[in-house]
Amino acid sequence: MGDSQYSFSLTTFSPSGKLVQIEHALTAVGSGQTSLGIKASNGVVIATEKKLPSILVDETSVQKIQILTPNIGVVYSGMGPDSRVLVRKSRKQAEQYNLLYKEAIPVTQLVRETAAVMQEFTQSGGVRPFGVSLLVAGYDDKGPQLYQVDPSGSYFSWKASAMGKNVSNAKMFLEKRYTDDMELEDAIHTAILTLKGLLVFEGQISGKNIEIGVIEADRTFRVLTAAQIEDYLQEVE
Amino acid sequence: MLTKKGLKPPGYLKTGTTIVGVVCKDCVVLGADTRATAGSIVADKNCEKIHNMAPNILCCGAGTAADTEAVTDNISSQLKLHRYHTGRESRVVTALTLLKSHLFRYQGHVSAALVLGGVDVTGPHLHTIYPHGSTDTLPFATMGSGSLAAMAIFESEYREGLTRDEGVNLVTKAICSGIFNDLGSGSNVDICVIEKGKTEYLRNHLTPNPRTYISSKGYTFSKKTEVLHTKITPLKELVDVVQVGGDAMEE
Repeated sequence: MGDSQYSFSLTTFSPSGKLVQIEHALTAVGSGQTSLGIKASNGVVIATEKKLPSILVDETSVQKIQILTPNIGVVYSGMGPDSRVLVRKSRKQAEQYNLLYKEAIPVTQLVRETAAVMQEFTQSGGVRPFGVSLLVAGYDDKGPQLYQVDPSGSYFSWKASAMGKNVSNAKMFLEKRYTDDMELEDAIHTAILTLKGLLVFEGQISGKNIEIGVIEADRTFRVLTAAQIEDYLQEVE
Repeated sequence: MLTKKGLKPPGYLKTGTTIVGVVCKDCVVLGADTRATAGSIVADKNCEKIHNMAPNILCCGAGTAADTEAVTDNISSQLKLHRYHTGRESRVVTALTLLKSHLFRYQGHVSAALVLGGVDVTGPHLHTIYPHGSTDTLPFATMGSGSLAAMAIFESEYREGLTRDEGVNLVTKAICSGIFNDLGSGSNVDICVIEKGKTEYLRNHLTPNPRTYISSKGYTFSKKTEVLHTKITPLKELVDVVQVGGDAMEE
């Protein structure tokens, strides 16, 4: 990684024992658009607001929620370009695992490998940490799972989590509404209500300015179309 | 120069298999036999020679089984990543180019002769790929040691615009020709029909070589074996079990 001139790491310890670059990366994430995820008893839902810089941007060309494997999807908060690099690497790692073991990569393994990549960039020469936190949603033999991966490379399994702007309000809302035996349909409604409650939308919340990804017992991750989101929005009204 | 020194260059390997493909109206039908040979021994009587490249693209492989398996797995993996990246269905020419580049890079040492077929947005396609990396695009194709037997059937009975069922029958006939007339091919017929939006894998579509000597009643011995003498020796009498003082085994 990096030139011979930059063989030293740019992320160095401060006297108080903190890695300041990672703290700054987390700040970058904290100023990114809100995204959240909820693990239900029979599936996982991840959602994000899709606020475009101008009404002239073609919103159909933007897709923030990405598929990593047929049964694992991901959403980010923070810098879009950084997330694209991670998505590409994760897809490749999942495929390499598949080639080697002839098995679909378990969610925990993929999260672990992605987190390892993010950690590398905090210790290698001439590079900076990734300015994104990822929410990885998957369904494998262990059931539905939701993981959050931070720029430092640490990862946690969550029942429900939020990242980006207004994260504390979002988490409070989720804490109040989350139940262990929640079903996927309830989870989707809760996700929509959380986004609706927190965020100041310029116009109205619609299928065009939020993105929702779900995975259920059929183990196929899919991103909902704008029309499907509109249906859920009407149910919530 | 090396030939003068006595080095024999690798010749074209016609290997124990019959694989075929035919383009019908709006679909592609692939066929293969199921015999895997190790020299003159049949190593596998019912192996799978039709490999998955993509949901809409399949590949029959002749040659060294390990090579065909490895190369199709590798390119299938690359195609999957490409699909995620582009968000589009894979095209047959993409699979073709990835395969031929790989084989050319290995200068024929990867002994894989393939019949690649599929249906994508541009229509139905059928190609043959040779171990050195050259390719042909054809309406009907055969590869393997049984290719001449199968080609004889195609050349006499192929017509443009076959229907799906006519295509399946023609391919079955061609593979059977290989099975019965070529020693390197045998056992059953596998068929795969690829249409726009749908792929049907007919494993063992025809089994013209069933094992005939198994009795449906099961095998019974005609005469019971007589017991002449019984002697039971409990092993405890032969071995002394002594408990050593202290821990029996330190972890």
